[in-house]
Amino acid sequence: MPEAYLTQSPRTAWRVYDGEAAVLCPDDSTLNSLNAVGTLIWESADGKTAVSAIVARICEEFDVDPERAERDTMAFIAKLRERGLLTVSETLQQAP
Amino acid sequence: MVELSIGIAGLRTAVITRDPDVATVVRDRYEGFLSTGPADWRIEISPPSGGVPFSKDVVVRRDGGPARFSVRRHDFAGTVDVSERTADLTLTSPDDVSINSFLRILYSLALVETRGLVVHAASLVRDGAAYLFCGPSGSGKTTVARLSTDATLLSDELSIVRIAEGYAMCFGTPFRGELALAGEDRAAPLIGIYFLHHGGRHAVEALGPKEALARLLPNVLFFAREADVTAAVFRIAADLVEAVPCFDLSFRPDPGFWEVIRNA
Repeated sequence: MPEAYLTQSPRTAWRVYDGEAAVLCPDDSTLNSLNAVGTLIWESADGKTAVSAIVARICEEFDVDPERAERDTMAFIAKLRERGLLTVSETLQQAP
Repeated sequence: MVELSIGIAGLRTAVITRDPDVATVVRDRYEGFLSTGPADWRIEISPPSGGVPFSKDVVVRRDGGPARFSVRRHDFAGTVDVSERTADLTLTSPDDVSINSFLRILYSLALVETRGLVVHAASLVRDGAAYLFCGPSGSGKTTVARLSTDATLLSDELSIVRIAEGYAMCFGTPFRGELALAGEDRAAPLIGIYFLHHGGRHAVEALGPKEALARLLPNVLFFAREADVTAAVFRIAADLVEAVPCFDLSFRPDPGFWEVIRNA
């Protein structure tokens, strides 16, 4: 599987409280409340961190087996992508 | 030409109109908020256009520049230029509801640069401190105001909060609800935000900032959908729930909720 890189949509606004992010989608003003794992993924969506590296960090920090971590991460990414909160690219992204 | 000055939440707006009926409506409706001195904002209200509806719902969108917004509803059409601090408004009739609705929208846009929000909330001052009671229609805003006979009413419907240097001030507004009373033109430090709902007993429960933010945002009056201004509103709301303790407040219709608030 080719490597993938996540980038937060510049249209979002977000804040982290006690390790958990609240992310606003400006298109419909929906507030997305992320748990600690979701927040790790969200904060890593900088266009430069590979999804494989994010999954490895989740396994390390949350004591999850790699297969499950990858499956859950991909499902979570698909959800955020569907909501327009982030984009997925196969190439490294430049800082805006 | 008539020029009247309205001061709300520290923003003074000059209202200019040729229409004597509009001037009368403004003078009567904002009686407690008429002020003197140099205006921060200037609104020109044109005579009624003959009753042509402009738009079914409220539509606020950027129009011809990053700081210029077109504002339309079935009974008015106007523009708000945030950088020039000017607005113009054409009404279908010289109606206080129309003028009031436009002013609410104007203030929701104008306050962003001063780190302020218009919130669906009753606000009251007790012993020099302001309390904000947030909630949608039917949550009990007017009931709380009505039960608080020893408090000063800032609003029973739409309150204004501004935040600076980590502390928040709550301001009286003329935007009234079912109580049909304008708030007092004064401000006080905001010491608590209470998300209201009716219950069988009085109970206060502290909320963390993330949950408080999720409950505050739907109560913020804001119509523009542009990402940058929405993000600015989000940041103000996020700062607010960090600066001010937030609570869930279940109450029944008697003034005993103040005791629970005091003991929380």
